[in-house]
Amino acid sequence: MAGPVKDREAFQRLSFLYQAAHCVLAQDPTNQALARFYCHTERTIAKRLVLRRDPSVKRTLCRGCSSLLIPGLTCTQRQRRCRGQRWTVQTCLTCQRSQRFLNDPDHLLWGDRPEAQLGSQADLKPPQPLPNAAHPIPAHLPEEKV
Amino acid sequence: MSQQAREDQLQRKAVVLEYSTRRKQKEKKKKSKGLSARQRRELRLFDIKPEQQRYSLFLPLHELWKQYIRDLCGGLKPDTQPQMIQAKLLKADLHGALVSVTKSKCPSYVGVTGILLQETKYVFKILTKEDRLKVVPKLNCVFTVEIDGFISYIYGSKFRLRSSERSAKKFKAKGTVDL
Repeated sequence: MAGPVKDREAFQRLSFLYQAAHCVLAQDPTNQALARFYCHTERTIAKRLVLRRDPSVKRTLCRGCSSLLIPGLTCTQRQRRCRGQRWTVQTCLTCQRSQRFLNDPDHLLWGDRPEAQLGSQADLKPPQPLPNAAHPIPAHLPEEKV
Repeated sequence: MSQQAREDQLQRKAVVLEYSTRRKQKEKKKKSKGLSARQRRELRLFDIKPEQQRYSLFLPLHELWKQYIRDLCGGLKPDTQPQMIQAKLLKADLHGALVSVTKSKCPSYVGVTGILLQETKYVFKILTKEDRLKVVPKLNCVFTVEIDGFISYIYGSKFRLRSSERSAKKFKAKGTVDL
């Protein structure tokens, strides 16, 4: 499924904003306001155009204050046990909002389901945060999901 | 009979006594979906301290933007019609672009050049080479964006939207394009 043209441009824009936020944070770890602004713009665009995003990308954005979550820098990540299962708890440092993810070694198959494989023209992992120089990461739809 | 009927009616009538409704304890705090006022109070926007972050720190951002635009248009300079580039630019994101103000109703804004850091509804925030954050209103201003030899003029008066809304909106040519 090729997908309509407008969506492709929109997805490119989303991915550009995401990489730009990473770039800004890489340059200057103390200035989170700009990264937050970019992520907020991103979220508004996705909301306006109703675009689906890959869950691995969604997890790195805080839902409350829409800042970019980087464990160690903007958020804390702990592992807890709750009711006999292992959860990973991510807490955003700005709005104190926590997210919990189930962490079960037996259940790592959701990314390999056949529907995900059909639509994965691009890689399913989020773009790496850029170090100092700008790497030529192709901004090709990392978030599009069939 | 009528008296019996009347009595019946009286006896079966529902009489409303005093009542008191207990309001559910004041709707619980919404699950923080949109803490708008509180969000803004946390100064999501820029603060002045980053002015000490030099212009050079944002150059990689500019490189990233250039690659993004090149990728978006899919070609450098050959025979791509300017129409396509313009149409794509309308929906594209301008954060990190090198913009300069060519014409403006207020002469002190003309000539401001720098990297676009933030775009809000009515304003561009531009960081100049001398590390000064300039806040330029979009009204009555013409901005120049240059990419790979293509120069486009952006009429700020038509662009008075948040950048996220811009990609969702279709533009019509309406009215005169004058300052």
